[in-house]
Amino acid sequence: MFILFIFLLSQFASAAPPVIEKQQNIVIPVINSANQQDTISRNGLSAIFKMRLLRWNDGSAVTVFVLNDDDPLHKQFCKQILNVFPHQMRRNWDKLVFSGSGQAPILVESKEEMIEKIEKTPGSVGYLNLSDLTNGIKRLDIK
Amino acid sequence: MYAGKFNLNNLTKLIICNVVVITPFISSNAIAAEKNWLPELPDTVQIHGFLSQALIHTSDNNFFGTTDDNISDDFRELGINGSWRIIPDLQIAMQVVWRDAGKTDEQGLRIDYGLADYRLYSSEDSLLGIKAGRVPTPLGLYNDTRDVASTRPSIFLPQSIYFDINRNSALSADGGYFYGEQNTDWGDFSFHIGTIVPRTEDPDLKNQFKKLDGDTSWVSRLNYEWRGGEVRLAITYAEFNGHFLDPIKLNEGQFQFKPLIFSAQYNAERWSLTGEYEFRGLRLNNFDVLDSDITGEGYYLQGIYKFTSYVEGMVRYDQLIWDKDDKHGDKFSANTGAPAYSRFAKDWTVGLRFKLIPGLLLSTEYHRINGTGTISRLENPPGATKQHWDLYAIMLSYDF
Repeated sequence: MFILFIFLLSQFASAAPPVIEKQQNIVIPVINSANQQDTISRNGLSAIFKMRLLRWNDGSAVTVFVLNDDDPLHKQFCKQILNVFPHQMRRNWDKLVFSGSGQAPILVESKEEMIEKIEKTPGSVGYLNLSDLTNGIKRLDIK
Repeated sequence: MYAGKFNLNNLTKLIICNVVVITPFISSNAIAAEKNWLPELPDTVQIHGFLSQALIHTSDNNFFGTTDDNISDDFRELGINGSWRIIPDLQIAMQVVWRDAGKTDEQGLRIDYGLADYRLYSSEDSLLGIKAGRVPTPLGLYNDTRDVASTRPSIFLPQSIYFDINRNSALSADGGYFYGEQNTDWGDFSFHIGTIVPRTEDPDLKNQFKKLDGDTSWVSRLNYEWRGGEVRLAITYAEFNGHFLDPIKLNEGQFQFKPLIFSAQYNAERWSLTGEYEFRGLRLNNFDVLDSDITGEGYYLQGIYKFTSYVEGMVRYDQLIWDKDDKHGDKFSANTGAPAYSRFAKDWTVGLRFKLIPGLLLSTEYHRINGTGTISRLENPPGATKQHWDLYAIMLSYDF
């Protein structure tokens, strides 16, 4: 009985780390820590990445950073959080850029650059894994 | 560069010329997202552009150059634009383009758009704004960015709706628009409504009408998108007015073109299906012998399949009929002596596209066309056209 108990306990113990790892790998929208805002609606987040919403609630300007279209984290963010395919975002940005009505988000080469840019740019927004949060970066919650 | 027989030397020169121009711009991330290759520019200023060069061959008739039994390189586009978001609510932008498309466009440099865009109201779910200046005309699904090769589904847009002969008049016009967008749980709605004066510098139009000037006109478009563009629907209605000097009678006449376009598109991860249908109301008063008031129709159905993220195939059927009451063109032919097949164009197209590196596209396509309803009269003097013809084209395009 006792041996069975130990055996079952060991099974649960070895199950725990993978669950935490999985959590750390989820993709989340992130903003500069100094931003007054902590939450946004799903429509609002979509509007930000489509470059349609250009101000935060306090009126300050939004600056959007994204990774390359082919980057796995970018694809994950588009599909899981925004519910669109990267090529749909691309088409949307191209339409704004080549018709004079809007601008494109700022491209960063890597997660490291994303972290650096979000930390030092007021009003910035981007996406990272949960494990990448630092003092200068906080999660933007979707309400 | 386009007259005479094609030879290998020309092709080599062309390839070298394009590679030399493109190489300085090549970086793995040079697509329409802002990159700091102009480090002095603040984040609120962006510069983008595009260039493309095509080679075209037709079995008969000329399309964008002397393509009949020849390979012409007379189709190229080069554009550069700048935008400055002065404050989040106000942006100014301008795009200049240098375009060459056989005799249909030899103008060289022109301002495609130059506008100021001001947001009156914006929230997480909605937007209301105005824009004014020279503004791209919101027609159908593809007109807003029609001169950028990568935003088109193929080398040439379906001619039944996106006539390239009068590309300048269709692309943009001087005036102002009121626009808005509302995001709801059932999808995103948006609209554009504006009053404009159309541009008339297209060589074919000038050739037909001697002196054509735009008059106050208006354009409206309603859009619906579901799930970020999985389903896209649009209705466009416009009235383009103008007056002209009749080349024969030398008196003034009026011109009114009223398109009504229904558009629908479905986008899955690997494929998409698009269809657009246009009623084309065309009224001419005091032109030649005829006071005409005809309704034509144009429509196309297009399927695109992404074999991989680098290769995409396209199939399309595109049909234009100038006058629904004269579908085969026989009445027109009896009245004017022009061939009946000049009153329609039925085009089957297949294409293959390769994304070589981000921003660099190689597009190829083949058209089998019945009718000459969409080709330029400048490039095709009467009597020299053929009803059934093939068109082959290959284009290299880059945008940044």
